[in-house]
Amino acid sequence: MRATTTRRGRTRAAFIAMTAAGAMALGACGSGSSGGPGSDSTQAEEGGEGDGVEIRFSWWGSDDRHQTTQEIIDLFEEKNPGITVVPDYTDWGGYWDKLATSTAGGDTPDVITHEERFIADYANRGVLADLESLDIDTSEMQDTVIDGGRVDGTLYGLATGVNAYAMMADPQIFADAGVEVPDDTTWTWEDFVAVSGELSKAAGDGVYGTQDIGFNEAGLSILARQKGQNLYNEDGSLGVDAETVSQFFQIGLDLQENGGAPDGSRTVEIQNAGPEGSLLGTNAGGMGVWWSNQLGALSSASGHELELLRMPGETEYERTGMYFKPAMFYSVSATTEHPEESAMFVDFLLNDPEVAALQLTDRGLPSNLSVRESILGDLEAADAKVADFMADLEDEIVDGPPVPPNGAGDVQDIMIRLNSEVLFGSMTPDEAAEAFLSEVEAATSN
Amino acid sequence: MSVIQEVAKTRGASRELRKGDGKAAAIFLAPWFLGLGLITAFPLLASLYLSFTDYSLLEAPSWIGLENYQRMFEDPRWLQSLSVTLRYVLISVPLQLMAALALAMVLDRGLRGLAIYRSVYYLPSLLGSSVAIALLWRQVFGADGLVNQVLGYFGIQGYGWVSHPDYALGTLMILNVWTFGAPMIIFLAGLRQIPAMYYEAASIDGASKVRQFFNITIPLLSPIIFFNLVLQLIGAFQSFTQAFIVSGGTGGPVDSTLFYTLYLYQNGFKSFDMGYASAMAWFLLLIVAGMTAVNFLASKYWVFYDD
Repeated sequence: MRATTTRRGRTRAAFIAMTAAGAMALGACGSGSSGGPGSDSTQAEEGGEGDGVEIRFSWWGSDDRHQTTQEIIDLFEEKNPGITVVPDYTDWGGYWDKLATSTAGGDTPDVITHEERFIADYANRGVLADLESLDIDTSEMQDTVIDGGRVDGTLYGLATGVNAYAMMADPQIFADAGVEVPDDTTWTWEDFVAVSGELSKAAGDGVYGTQDIGFNEAGLSILARQKGQNLYNEDGSLGVDAETVSQFFQIGLDLQENGGAPDGSRTVEIQNAGPEGSLLGTNAGGMGVWWSNQLGALSSASGHELELLRMPGETEYERTGMYFKPAMFYSVSATTEHPEESAMFVDFLLNDPEVAALQLTDRGLPSNLSVRESILGDLEAADAKVADFMADLEDEIVDGPPVPPNGAGDVQDIMIRLNSEVLFGSMTPDEAAEAFLSEVEAATSN
Repeated sequence: MSVIQEVAKTRGASRELRKGDGKAAAIFLAPWFLGLGLITAFPLLASLYLSFTDYSLLEAPSWIGLENYQRMFEDPRWLQSLSVTLRYVLISVPLQLMAALALAMVLDRGLRGLAIYRSVYYLPSLLGSSVAIALLWRQVFGADGLVNQVLGYFGIQGYGWVSHPDYALGTLMILNVWTFGAPMIIFLAGLRQIPAMYYEAASIDGASKVRQFFNITIPLLSPIIFFNLVLQLIGAFQSFTQAFIVSGGTGGPVDSTLFYTLYLYQNGFKSFDMGYASAMAWFLLLIVAGMTAVNFLASKYWVFYDD
């Protein structure tokens, strides 16, 4: 009797454990993909009128943008009866998972919001339509901006608007510390490091000269351009040499040494905290590099009136390095059933002044120049400042960098990792530069 | 002994099925089986196929045989992710179970307000893998966080723990240990099953509390320990959210929190390398299955079934 009960007990316990183990092990494969925030709830209006055409428009962004975009869609549907635009939106992180998955499932949105670092991946794999074969008016856009959406000569994306990667400064922190805001038309990279150190010292405890600049490859791209190089060449190969990359990492190290920027772990932490948690946003630093469209968010977080400065080194080397980056692109799916209606919608988004009046600079300073002109009066202080700054730059900017190659979406992660290695002292700038070149080469070579 | 036989008899009786229950059971189970088929089994098999292909998600997959599997062993970041995950699992799971058992024994003493304590300690388990807790962790172990404030009272200047490559994984281990509630509840139930007469007999014979713990509690609790161990090991291998949130999706700083699943996700969705990601998933399955098998084999030598 004793033996049998023990036996039965053991089998039962083993069975329970085995079942649980099996279920969880199955889950191990299933849970690799995060579900991502659902966003299909608004796809309620189906079909519309009997013979109506339905197109799907995907974008990423915050609640503000979703509401404005819905108003824009309503406006389009009002002006174009018979066409229904189905909204398809998520936050930035979930957007690319969702777009890749729906493309894999043969359910690509008709009109797709795209981004510089991912557009080549999609274009080269035949997902996107040639926009020049469609009827979209681009007469009011600058050629340098239009060319920003070409991959191997074919136009796959039209810029919604433009941003510039620029230095932002808090004049009040400079003033409180008794340090003068540097002259951005002449300052060099060395000046930037020196003034950051000076500001850290003068401003006292807990206030730093600048936030580290090494986590975004846009800064490296500008330095490379100043020296007559390019982060990526036209054909997608790397166009920057190890010396320049090393110089770029060295700036971060110099800032650590002279105290111009916070130490490694604090730097990494701030880096993850977005505009609201940044040094500028928390009044804990004098400078930082950001995309120009973030001036508004930074200003409202800090409560101070921030200034835009040119990047250091614009007059130091061969040429200027700053450029207008397409904030986002509108692309059309190559497999859409309704190319004409999709083109109409893109044309409307780019060229209708009423659209711009609704979204202002939320998708960058409008790339259509007459539309841009029409909203200048409506801009708030920070946005107006960006518009002025961009107008000043217009004559200095030589050209735009080519579209980054396939795999460029990985490059920022590589940059973040290697810059951390340098800041924590586990790699020298030279070693990091070598690693950067070989890793980026590998990531972008397929 | 007769008590135990009585218990066994009544349990046996309750397990007999009445005729006709089968059809109802099938109907109630149908939705679950449908879900299992469509949402789990089908993708599972698809991923097995994809693991032998080069699949960018955007184009049709093309067969490349075992290349993805070979590639893993030449990929330094894959090795890093495996090492991070193994360290995380092997250190945090035993600590978590020890914490769970210790607390279960304290609570088993029949404190007043036991239900409240039980809920309080169980709470972190419910919250543990949530985004909110990961965000909280980032605050607590941040440069200006709670931990450094406390250390500040003792004149110690701390780092930003979650963003320092030497300590970031440690903070995630602490997070895992902190979610000891689920195994604790199971231990608590297990402790209640141990007949008090064993302890009485032992103390009459003059056995110390320590001796009683090692010679009565541990052996009789060993099936429960085993159960918890298997469950928590598998769970820990799958950890994703904490590292994803704390490192902003990068596995940083310097890949110090690059969990296996996080690297898998990066490959699948950021590098357009779903074939490689699928191969990684299957390799993880092999690791977990292997670990579980070893566990079951080893259990012969230390798990004692008595019921």
